[in-house]
Amino acid sequence: MGMMNREFRRKKDLLWLLTRKEITLKYKRTVLGILWSLLNPLLFAIVLVIAFKIFMRIQMENYTFFLLSALFPWNWFSASVTMSTGTLIGNVTLIKKIHFPRHFLVLSTILAQLVNLIFALPIIIGFSYFYGKGPGMNWVLTIPILIVIQFFVTTGICLSISLVNAYFRDMEYIIGVAVTMLFWMTPIIYPLNIVPEPYRIYLILNPLTYLITAWRDIFMSNSIDWGSIGISFGSSLIFLVLGVFVFQRFGKRLDEVI
Amino acid sequence: MNSIVEIKDVWKKFPMRREKAGFKEFVVNLPKFLKSSPNSHFWALKGVSFKVKQGECLGIIGKNGAGKSTLLSLILGTIYPTKGDIRVSQKITPLLELGAGFHPDLTGRENILINGVLLGLTKDEVSERMEEIIAFSEIGEFIDMPVRTYSSGMYLRLAFSVAIHTAPELLLIDEILSVGDEAFQKKSKDALLNLINGGVTTLFVSHQMSAVKEICDRAIWLDGGEIRGEGEPERVVEEYLRCPG
Repeated sequence: MGMMNREFRRKKDLLWLLTRKEITLKYKRTVLGILWSLLNPLLFAIVLVIAFKIFMRIQMENYTFFLLSALFPWNWFSASVTMSTGTLIGNVTLIKKIHFPRHFLVLSTILAQLVNLIFALPIIIGFSYFYGKGPGMNWVLTIPILIVIQFFVTTGICLSISLVNAYFRDMEYIIGVAVTMLFWMTPIIYPLNIVPEPYRIYLILNPLTYLITAWRDIFMSNSIDWGSIGISFGSSLIFLVLGVFVFQRFGKRLDEVI
Repeated sequence: MNSIVEIKDVWKKFPMRREKAGFKEFVVNLPKFLKSSPNSHFWALKGVSFKVKQGECLGIIGKNGAGKSTLLSLILGTIYPTKGDIRVSQKITPLLELGAGFHPDLTGRENILINGVLLGLTKDEVSERMEEIIAFSEIGEFIDMPVRTYSSGMYLRLAFSVAIHTAPELLLIDEILSVGDEAFQKKSKDALLNLINGGVTTLFVSHQMSAVKEICDRAIWLDGGEIRGEGEPERVVEEYLRCPG
């Protein structure tokens, strides 16, 4: 029992240290440091707001808030997926010379990106006070649930990507395009209901649609859409199981290819 | 006596692809790929079996390419056997490539922490030993500098110091380590001998026959992926040296 406990503590320490390493290294030798976590998505958001609200004149109340409420959770996903292509191939010596749970490398990449979302929460809370209903008890309940769901789906995808990329570096380029495509195919910068009926089916088939909708519901209107959350959770489990399967099945020959 | 390491009829093959497979090839050959049968391959180990008892120091000798390092990697668990069973019942401390887990941009202290945990300690346990590790490594005030600023000697000294302070139970050593200057070499060798003589189970791969005879209780001679001799280090080393080619 004591041994089990110790091993669990060690694993927890390892995951935490790998995550911290990821965060430290990301901004080492930069002037603004971890502020970039916030600046990066904010600058991107500003460009989108200028393009859609000012140039294209989208007629929507609180468009900036609408955009940010989906963009920050999306950024956690997209940054994790993009980073995960290099997770295994960038740690060759560690993988070949030290025995430790390799999936921790992927998990720590995702957890390190979560910091950005947490940093962005004060901004969302600010918007919510001014343009929404303000944060309420529903937030406390839903945000952890949504973080767990998104962590599952991201983990499933990142486990597969990081491993496949060790075999075929083409994955990096495929992911670059796929993430951009998925960004436009998920209701982030536009609401689902402006999509013409015949095309809506493609968005409805996209599991991220439900996750992003659930994030937006809680941030903008303090409401919990259990239907969306349920679908997100179900699909996240499928992704997670698939990812774990791919990682275990092909991970055993990882040393031969990297 | 309990066996700490049990190797049962272990085979390991490596694929020898002339060209890296492309994505197109992968899709076309997907069924074949899933069955994992590369056209040409190389057997690094061919049916190796042996046991290592608690507290024993086993020397592994043989020519380059005999499969010694593959064997250590299999025991460490970074690669998997193609066939056969490997059972290890103690915490492994590899001294294969010193500083494998170091990151050049992290400070000495940060690297100690993360490597100590990678090598089997909890964070608190590493913190407790931190000063001891720093003192042994003789890094001094550089400990809070990024390790990319270290000389190669300092780098190895720090890595060695972390490894031997992680309470090793099963040591995997690939070649006796010549770490740092003469004084430190003696100090590191003494520290290792202390562990080995103190009852830490050890697997020791070496080309230095005198060291094998001096340190090991038993030796195994690997040749072309098979065990060709086993027993008293003196005798096995003699056989190995007498073998032509």
